[in-house]
Amino acid sequence: MKKVMLYALSTCPFCAMAKKYFTSLQIPFDVVDVDLLKDDEKEVIINEVQRISGRRAFPVIVIENDVIVGYDELRVKEAMEK
Amino acid sequence: MNEREKILCPVCQVSFILKEPKEAGRAIVCPVCGAVLVMVQEGTVWSLTRPAHLSLEEEIHQRVDNFARLRGYHFNEMKEAVVKGLLSKNQRFGDFYCPCRIDNIPENICPCLFTRQGDVEKNGKCHCGLYWK
Repeated sequence: MKKVMLYALSTCPFCAMAKKYFTSLQIPFDVVDVDLLKDDEKEVIINEVQRISGRRAFPVIVIENDVIVGYDELRVKEAMEK
Repeated sequence: MNEREKILCPVCQVSFILKEPKEAGRAIVCPVCGAVLVMVQEGTVWSLTRPAHLSLEEEIHQRVDNFARLRGYHFNEMKEAVVKGLLSKNQRFGDFYCPCRIDNIPENICPCLFTRQGDVEKNGKCHCGLYWK
């Protein structure tokens, strides 16, 4: 199974959809609600998200080496099936 | 203020030409961001403020509806979920900041600068999926 990391915001509807998607398909994934982190930890993760996605917008989904900005089910499926 | 003078929208921070007659308390719509605003007169100076007569729910619903109408954009079934995110941002950070962006800064107040500058035209939707072409 591929390693899946979901960077999310607690206020973002598409982040919620992405969580629901992986949960409903029983795909194991790690998730972090970046806006709920403590300030110092938040800065580290935001910098990480910006480095890998080039943006400060969410969700950002990392599937092995693929980085998907926004919730795009087709791209998620493609990355999972690679 | 003469008839061609511009007036500043306190939401999107863009100045526009006021077409409506000046009348204290009159509600108008910002032609740039769709925000409902109220005219205020202090001495000879006219300005616009956020509408105290609307609830937060009414204010954001009217704003997003107005912006979509002004630009010819549409909504889909995600609209209410995004509006809920905007209300949550307002509750936590004091304004309708984009629910999908981490930075709670004026540029990210809905409709955000990216959206006002053409994200929907380029990508078919805004980042949040609120406004669709």
